[in-house]
Amino acid sequence: MINAWRIARRELRGGVRGFRVFLACLALGVAAIAAVGSIASSVIAGLEEDGAILLGGDAALRMTHRDISADERAWLGRSADVSRVVYLRSMARAIGNDKRSLVEMKMVDGAYPLYGALETTPPIAAADLFTRRGDAWGAVADTALLRRLGIEIGGRLKIGDAIYEIRGTIDREPDRVSGARALQLGPRFMASAASVADSGLVQPGSQVWYFYRIRLNEPAALDSWKTDLDDTFPDAQWSVQDRSNASPIIKRFIDRTTLFMTLVGLTALLVGGVGVGNAVRDFLAGKIQTIATLKCIGASSGLIFGAYLIQVMVMAAAGIAIGLLIGGLAPAALADLLRDALPLVARIGIYTQPLILATAFGVLTALAFSIWPIARACDLPAAALFRDSIARFRGVPRWPFAAATVLLLAALAVLAVETAFSRPIAMWFVGGSAAAMALFGIAGILIARAAKLAGRAGGTGLRLALANLHRQGAPTGSVVMSLGLGLTVLVTVALIEANLGRQITKSLPQRAPGYFFIDIQNDQVAAFEKTVSGVDGFREMRRTPMLRGRITRLNGETAKAENIAERGRWMLRGDRGVTWARGLPEGEKIVAGTWWSDSYTGPQLVSLSANAAAGLGVGIGDTITVNILGRNITGKIANLRDVRWGTLRMNFIFMFSPGLLENAPQTHLATVHADPAREAAIETAVAAAFPNVTTIRVYDVLETVNGFLGRLGLAIRLAAGIAIVAGILVLAGAVAAGHRRRVYDSVVLKVLGATRRRIMGTLLLEYGLLGLVTALVASVIGTIAAWAVVTEVMRFQFSFDPLAVATAVVIAVAVTLALGFYGTWRALGQKAAPLLRNE
Amino acid sequence: MKDDNGIRGPMVLLNDVELKLDSEAGSVNILKGINLEIAAGETVSVVGPSGSGKTSMMMLIGGLERQTSGKVEVAGHDLASLDEDGLARFRRDNIGIVFQNFHLIPTMNAMENVAIPVELAGIDNAFDRARAALGSVGLDQRLTHYPGQLSGGEQQRVALARAIVAQPRLILADEPTGNLDGSTGESVIDLLFSLRADHGATLMLITHNPALAERCGRLIDLQDGLIGADRVTA
Repeated sequence: MINAWRIARRELRGGVRGFRVFLACLALGVAAIAAVGSIASSVIAGLEEDGAILLGGDAALRMTHRDISADERAWLGRSADVSRVVYLRSMARAIGNDKRSLVEMKMVDGAYPLYGALETTPPIAAADLFTRRGDAWGAVADTALLRRLGIEIGGRLKIGDAIYEIRGTIDREPDRVSGARALQLGPRFMASAASVADSGLVQPGSQVWYFYRIRLNEPAALDSWKTDLDDTFPDAQWSVQDRSNASPIIKRFIDRTTLFMTLVGLTALLVGGVGVGNAVRDFLAGKIQTIATLKCIGASSGLIFGAYLIQVMVMAAAGIAIGLLIGGLAPAALADLLRDALPLVARIGIYTQPLILATAFGVLTALAFSIWPIARACDLPAAALFRDSIARFRGVPRWPFAAATVLLLAALAVLAVETAFSRPIAMWFVGGSAAAMALFGIAGILIARAAKLAGRAGGTGLRLALANLHRQGAPTGSVVMSLGLGLTVLVTVALIEANLGRQITKSLPQRAPGYFFIDIQNDQVAAFEKTVSGVDGFREMRRTPMLRGRITRLNGETAKAENIAERGRWMLRGDRGVTWARGLPEGEKIVAGTWWSDSYTGPQLVSLSANAAAGLGVGIGDTITVNILGRNITGKIANLRDVRWGTLRMNFIFMFSPGLLENAPQTHLATVHADPAREAAIETAVAAAFPNVTTIRVYDVLETVNGFLGRLGLAIRLAAGIAIVAGILVLAGAVAAGHRRRVYDSVVLKVLGATRRRIMGTLLLEYGLLGLVTALVASVIGTIAAWAVVTEVMRFQFSFDPLAVATAVVIAVAVTLALGFYGTWRALGQKAAPLLRNE
Repeated sequence: MKDDNGIRGPMVLLNDVELKLDSEAGSVNILKGINLEIAAGETVSVVGPSGSGKTSMMMLIGGLERQTSGKVEVAGHDLASLDEDGLARFRRDNIGIVFQNFHLIPTMNAMENVAIPVELAGIDNAFDRARAALGSVGLDQRLTHYPGQLSGGEQQRVALARAIVAQPRLILADEPTGNLDGSTGESVIDLLFSLRADHGATLMLITHNPALAERCGRLIDLQDGLIGADRVTA
């Protein structure tokens, strides 16, 4: 090994010429993975270190629709400070004008906040913020609410029957992420919990959540406190969270985003791997005399392999180091952006774990793609090295090297799967990448074959273009692979985005109701229906009873997340909407079992969404127990329904048969379709007659979702862009490698009488064909991938977007043409003589 | 007066031609005032030591290099008046060149290489003519071979076929046997002369071989950028 190192060291004096693309490919992929990992680590560190602030306490108990008992309250107060926060969603109406807005209400007590501080404009002491003065309670809100209601600080509004005076706007709400539902439909409104009684909003069945935040006298004793809590109240209905996992929603979001971005980074690295292989091959082509000479004077293949592997890995180390530097510093570089985009403070710093992971990916990629060509160059006899300099790198090396390459690729796959937050997604990615690479490999071969078969078709230009596509050593395969993979990501992402966008901005608004009305009380139903149907422009109303419950048992056994499939676990995490019905609601489709008769009065039966049943691992005849308002109700599964969530109808996972639930305290949920021009009149009529009823305007929800998707889309496009840049780098490398030969061909053609226009026409054909065919193959694969995601994962109807695909085609052709033309035009303008002299 | 080739005046006319090329060491005076006239149908050999300017003079005549001063007129065209594309068209219609290093296009087989000039000239049946040209240089059996699959002699014969296939008025040959062994070189030269005779083309041949130089009707000895001798061979 000493000799190999010595040879390598001497050879390395030649510098990094020819390794620029190699370095760039590795650096880009490693930087992407390191940056994603480092940013995620800094955000998660912030999440963990500020856990108590974000959660609002060392621990938090959540009750749905029901408060805790006095005994329970007393127990909590024995060893801790306790703060009670009530969350509701309702309608705020400005006093002085007729403007309204849905608000996300957070009603707090005097102890709030236990950790951190509420910052407002103007800065007001907590004690003065929420007190009652005259007939009005003090309140603070997001500036968005003031804008919507057309009021200013000091303005007044009404929620339910309670009157509030806005005393300030919220600058920073330390525990904003805690207790929040995934989707915020309106601006935040904060006031005293004591005012809730005045509002009259809390009725049996109302959607209200009670949070008890705990600040332990001894924060270190959190675990023993939780054990005590469980032992003392084994049957309590609350769910408990603690500061170590303050915001599972954010954590999951970060985990999923990190996974996705890491996989895209990995795509960039895989694409870059093709560039690495090309660069190593070109490097060795330039070293062929040296290798031959070494062999002639007695160097073994093993020695030469070692010497060149060392050189390649020294370069790889440099590329990886550049990538780590960029990726490691990414959190610091993006600190301002993170501060604005996140509801928490990221801990900017250098995180070793993601850097180690990125290094591992980089080293494995460099090895996996360079061993093969190095082994091939070293395998051939010395005499063969002097001839046929292109063909020598083709074919399969000796089996240990081929096996090593396969093992390294497998190691890359295993590392990707094992370090991923979700193994199934990572496995799909690995499988998909392998399939896509195989398809592009085949496409490359087919393009070369087709070019060869086309033979003499057309004139000199086309023939030369076709010959350049299939000649030995042509970069056709690597260009198709590298550009193709990047384009596939682009097409997939563009089509998914286009489909989501169409659903949200076009398809959904056409089919979806104009409004959802929630919290309609039992005794308001008749009046509500009369009011709404009496408004001009009213078209249709659907109404259904609404209760909430959480799954407690499956077939009599306590429902535990670890006993069911991952895709079904979310159903156990909190409360789900529950309803009951006599007849099968219009538009519902039974896929298994039968619906109960209208007059059914027997034991409780339940209808389950088919997806939920599959997720929970239950079927027809099994029993499911749901805790509703503190009471366990067990039903036998009678049928399964195909629920399409994308329709924005009143979709329920659980529908019970009539009987027990009929008489339970419940509210009602209604959807209303109306002439778009008259929608506002319905809202006004409901607001005037039923102040407790919350109106959700579907358009606003779609706007919110659209905004969120827009931001997410930007991140996704950025990530896809990295894969494309990697593809372009490889393409540039491949084109640069063939540049000398291309200039030579062009000069000879010029000597023989070809004009520059004619020669450029040939290039146009060659690169145009290559770009076009690559783009078409990428479009097909990308469309299939997008179709799978849209129809199977999102369960939307897929529609093909020609614009998205056309964009990819244009990008591919433009990039290949630009790179192909670069340099050649200048070379053609120069004198031919220097290239033709007999040196 | 128009000759048999339809050209007024000489095939090649160099009038006080100078050529200076820039190098890292400064400007180098390659040709220092060449005056030369070659009539259509002549066979002319150019000899002289390395660096005397033989190849440069040929490049000027082929429109592959531009003179610093003086006048270069070939086949009735004042080359200074032509742009790069004009020069390409001029070569297409008038010139066939044979290089020491063959300069075949590696991605094309023998027949395709030979067909290019005919195709570029827009002449029909390019491949029939290429096949015939390759037949005339004895390569009927190598039509679909690529340059990498041919020996040096065979490659030079392909280059020869390519040079004559479009029936040029002027054939320029720059040490065509320089990379070939003795007997292969001789057979290539025999072919060159017989093909030239068949087409009645003018030939300008650069060589280091005195015997080969004597086979031409006229010999020009270039010395340090100037014509040292210009004589009719015996």
